Amino acid sequence: MSDESMRDRRDHPLTRREVLHGALIGTATLGAGGILAACGSSSGGGGSSATATGSAPTTGAIKAGGMLRVGATGGGAKDTIDAHLPTADTDIMRVWNLYEPLAVRPPDFGPLQMMLAESLEPENGSSKTWIVKLRSGVQFHNGKTVTADDVIFSLNRILDPKDPKVGATSIGYIDAPGLKKIDSLTVRIPLKFANAAFPDDIGQYFNGIVPVGYDPKNPVGTGAFKYQSFAPGQQSVFVKNPNYWQTGRPYVDQLTIIDFPDSTARVNALLGGQVDAIDNLPTGQIAQIQGNSSLKVLIAQTGEWQPFTMRVDSPPFNDVRVRQAFRLIVDRKQMVEQVLSGQGRIANDLYSPFDPAYLNTVPQRAQDLEQAKSLLKQAGHEGLTVQLTTADVFQGVVAAAQVFAQQATGAGVKVNVNKIDTGTFYGANYLKWTFAQDFWATREYLPQVAQGSLPSSPFNETHWADPAFIKLIGEARATVDDTKRKQILQEAQMLEYDKGGYIIPYFSNQIDAYSAKLGGFIPPRSGFPLGNYWFKNVGFVS
Amino acid sequence: MGKFLIRRTLLGLLTLFLVSVVVFVATQALPGNAARAILGRDATPQRLAALTEQLHLNRSVFDQYTHWLSGILTGNLGTSAATQEPVSQLLSGRILDSAFLVLVAAVIAIPLSIGFGVWMAMRRDKAVDVVGSTISLIFAALPEFVIGIILALVFATQVFHVLPAVSLIPPGDHAWQHPNVVILPAATLILAVTPYISRIMRGSMIEVLESDYVTMARLKGLPERTVIWRHAVPNAIVPAIQVSALQLAWMAGGVVVVEFVFSYPGVGAALVDAVGNRDVPTVQALVLIIAAVYVVLNVLADLATIMVTPRLRTAGQ
Repeated sequence: MSDESMRDRRDHPLTRREVLHGALIGTATLGAGGILAACGSSSGGGGSSATATGSAPTTGAIKAGGMLRVGATGGGAKDTIDAHLPTADTDIMRVWNLYEPLAVRPPDFGPLQMMLAESLEPENGSSKTWIVKLRSGVQFHNGKTVTADDVIFSLNRILDPKDPKVGATSIGYIDAPGLKKIDSLTVRIPLKFANAAFPDDIGQYFNGIVPVGYDPKNPVGTGAFKYQSFAPGQQSVFVKNPNYWQTGRPYVDQLTIIDFPDSTARVNALLGGQVDAIDNLPTGQIAQIQGNSSLKVLIAQTGEWQPFTMRVDSPPFNDVRVRQAFRLIVDRKQMVEQVLSGQGRIANDLYSPFDPAYLNTVPQRAQDLEQAKSLLKQAGHEGLTVQLTTADVFQGVVAAAQVFAQQATGAGVKVNVNKIDTGTFYGANYLKWTFAQDFWATREYLPQVAQGSLPSSPFNETHWADPAFIKLIGEARATVDDTKRKQILQEAQMLEYDKGGYIIPYFSNQIDAYSAKLGGFIPPRSGFPLGNYWFKNVGFVS
Repeated sequence: MGKFLIRRTLLGLLTLFLVSVVVFVATQALPGNAARAILGRDATPQRLAALTEQLHLNRSVFDQYTHWLSGILTGNLGTSAATQEPVSQLLSGRILDSAFLVLVAAVIAIPLSIGFGVWMAMRRDKAVDVVGSTISLIFAALPEFVIGIILALVFATQVFHVLPAVSLIPPGDHAWQHPNVVILPAATLILAVTPYISRIMRGSMIEVLESDYVTMARLKGLPERTVIWRHAVPNAIVPAIQVSALQLAWMAGGVVVVEFVFSYPGVGAALVDAVGNRDVPTVQALVLIIAAVYVVLNVLADLATIMVTPRLRTAGQ
């Protein structure tokens, strides 16, 4: 897009007070076992790590003022602005900007950052009960101060057994009737079992704190932006929250989130200067955007993974040798090249690469077709034929299925790729497919285990239920000491490395694009596009 | 004429009823339901049960249909499963915006293509006719989304930056308040339908120009302009009317694709979204509206044909 077309837009707020600072966000880190469960649900987001290849975030002085327009796909008539029901990317974007949880992982996936909580500590050194101390003087958009009652109300709303919200899958183990207000800024949260990962489980974008009596028709939170209007599937307009607790934020006066039905229209809107930033740039268009001096690409290496899921309780995968053989079939480098156009890094069948306890001391698996054949022969499955069920649930998964089928022929395995529509994939057989795929966001290890690797997990696609593993996880949750817990967690990962039901070929990059007039984006290793959608950090550079 | 209208209206209503049954059955055959579609990957048994209850999806299929039908008969289109708002409220703005787009395209495309057809017929087999025919064949062969993408490349994103690449209309506003967002989608529709109408017009015009009464008129010494516009065109136009009606009806549905390309906030985007959401009341309402447009346009085309054909016009008298 020419400079011309972008120029008319955002020059007038020159008159606004120029606040410029290199400002750190008021970070507060916090104590608890640094674990974080990142996104709960699905977002199509991607994750990312901090190396921005291509273009680094702009580091010019950011001016206050201006109107920021962001384009996103994935939304539609079912869009919501409810603090506790975000599903599509557009919902997640709205939630990140209107509401805030007690704590959350920042875009770089560094230590948990305290938001509405000042601290989040285990009571008397036991991870079975937690004490939340709130930051004092934080106001909701309606002027009311955030108190312990609001925290209890919010948690009860999320956990409502008659209408559980998204967060119920991550903090369902809170003993809700036992929630207790100690004083106006302190809450005692008892759990049904000890869990050192609690701060990360509660520190999720979908666990925002809302005022007592919250009604999504009047979406009040504490976020950097206040609600102005919302039209599902079209656009949402938010304005600057002048009383935001982080001084100097947000920079822009208005934030408009625009829904697009597909990525072509969204990229065209960016090229034509109708939006200032878009999430999830298709890899095929990176070169085009990088070649345009008025635009920038934000690339982040994330902890996002899209595994093949083998059901460990169902033939042929109930034989561990078949699972091991399948893991040796994958040529991971080739898969990163062909499926992600090189935008990712190979993985080792283990998840949560940013967890301090991540098991990085075991050998990197590489394709070994002879070994795979021999394992299959021992298992009595020479010339095996399997069906791989896939659907367009996340970018690249269908392509990955096809590449896997191709690579499997080398080991004499015939893989029939059964591509079905998303509705069928998530239909009656969801979580029951023998051999399928899934996608996960960046999370710390224990929160991820809670989501997918225990019999009690809501999304245990591999039906992994190893008794030794379950025992280790129980011990780790009860262990507050970081070093000891790390040791236990590595033992648990060793079990998954040897016998697990996941094939994890790679961690994918998160790729977004924005106008060179903007600054403040942090490459999101968290996997949430555009730097956790934290538009409070973003503004127009002079 | 009156009898004809009554019969066609009754047949039209029967058609709409059958369409509603077929569409309803088809939506039931789609895998999953609105609750699953809305929750997607988050469809844990607890949340699925809660939402199924909220959306009344646990009623029998027959109950759901009769409930919907009785609503329709009292003018109530029902409640959208995706937004929990009345369907009429959800769609009214979009219907107006789509209607405006189709109207703009039709008002330009029909006279333009009829004129173009006449012009080519009069220059039959000359260079301009050959070139014009070839170009119109190319446009007829291109799918409309390709035309749309090319127009966006040329006028919005790559060559000139004069028009918006996507049709962003602030919620609450209407397309006519932002005419520049209508230009590219309307141009796409015009380029998509013009070849058909103009080629039919050219063909029937050539036939008429060779007929005895045109020769007679010329021999009488009438000015060529009178020969063409008073004698030839009214006789040649009947097939063009029929094709125009078909093309207009096509636009009512084909606009879905064009709206998708330009992110135009009309019924097209709403229909694609509603099917994805398994939002049955919204799908039903949209399909019925599009079907009604077909029925009405066909009746109008037949009426217009009768009006311009003296033999038919006077048949009942």
